[in-house]
Amino acid sequence: MLQYVTLTIDGSRVRAAKGTSVLDAAIEYGICIPHLCHVPSLSDIGACRLCIVEHVRNGSSNVTTSCTLRVQEGMVIRTNTEKIVKLRRNIAELLVAEAPNSRAVQDIAVRCGVKEVRYPFRNNNCIQCGRCVRYCNQYWRANVLGFIGRGKDRHVDYPLGTRPDFCKNCGACTLYCPMSVTPCEGPMKRGEEHLCGKCESQLSMSASLPGACVRCDLGKGFQCARHA
Amino acid sequence: MSTTSLNVVLKGRRSQPHQLIEVLQDIQDLYGYIPADAMKTVAQELGVPLIEVYRVACFYKAFSLKPRGEHVITVCTGTACHVRGSTLLLDQIQGQLRIQPGHTTDDGLFTLECVNCVGACALGPIIAHNGMYEHHMTPGKLRKIIGDVYVTKKEESHHG
Ligand code: FES
Ligand code: FES
Repeated sequence: MLQYVTLTIDGSRVRAAKGTSVLDAAIEYGICIPHLCHVPSLSDIGACRLCIVEHVRNGSSNVTTSCTLRVQEGMVIRTNTEKIVKLRRNIAELLVAEAPNSRAVQDIAVRCGVKEVRYPFRNNNCIQCGRCVRYCNQYWRANVLGFIGRGKDRHVDYPLGTRPDFCKNCGACTLYCPMSVTPCEGPMKRGEEHLCGKCESQLSMSASLPGACVRCDLGKGFQCARHA
Repeated sequence: MSTTSLNVVLKGRRSQPHQLIEVLQDIQDLYGYIPADAMKTVAQELGVPLIEVYRVACFYKAFSLKPRGEHVITVCTGTACHVRGSTLLLDQIQGQLRIQPGHTTDDGLFTLECVNCVGACALGPIIAHNGMYEHHMTPGKLRKIIGDVYVTKKEESHHG
């Protein structure tokens, strides 16, 4: 039998099956925690850091990613404090700087309240969310993609650098990649990168209902769990 | 590449994924680098996905995917060695051998590598010549080390 625990997210009492993540529990209850690297049915690795929340314990709180945090009885979670909003905006800014040519990333940045990008654009076309890698290895068990190298040289690659013949060509890596849709105005050239920010109108609802999922379209690009 | 020596390395370790790093270390010792074919064999024999073998081989500095030279010169570019002038050492080698860090000379004699701190900061700048640490290095001493290798090489080919 499934065991349930009760926790508090942003003041509301939430019941969730043991073993689920705080992020999944929140999404189920319509609480919006922006997330990007999370794919339902795959394990979470906490790569994008967008889903950070405050976990209040014994009077103090620490910030962790909610996708890798398992629910516990009596947990107190805050998803929308000033501190979290600020940190999240900063993270989203870094993501846009890393990969401005992704509509999904541009959208999520708008959702996180990014108004300007204070970092130099690196335009690397990959934010290392690991969605392709996990889909390939966990869902298909094809083991065709992986993170190679470390530090600033870490990147996604094939074994030995070439596409092996055991790749089934399923295309899921591209499908799940947040880079596969370019911004509406087309790819930005080097030196011309900017924050798109044209979808800000979508925020009018979420501004009046902070923390609640208003089914905005800003999560479509990476199959936000509410669109699945 | 001889399969027999690879067999020796793999002996008693087949189907044991946790032996991956040890096996790669032995292969590195055996050939001086990790050939692509060896990685494929290891993946098959240990039951580890090839991507995993490749990932591990790329992750650690101790493994090299390209054949390395007879003499591996490792320059410490850590903070302490940097302020004590390790950039001068690098310039010296790059000028003398005309190779970039991570590369090997065409004659297969030298490989240049950089590391971040070898843990002997007080003795910096440090270089390691085939794993032997040389302390308080100067461009002059370095030039001599490299020159000596060429001299011995020449003598050997004279007598041999
Ligand atoms: S969704 Fe949790 S870190 Fe990306
Ligand atoms: S910085 Fe060179 S040994 Fe520490």
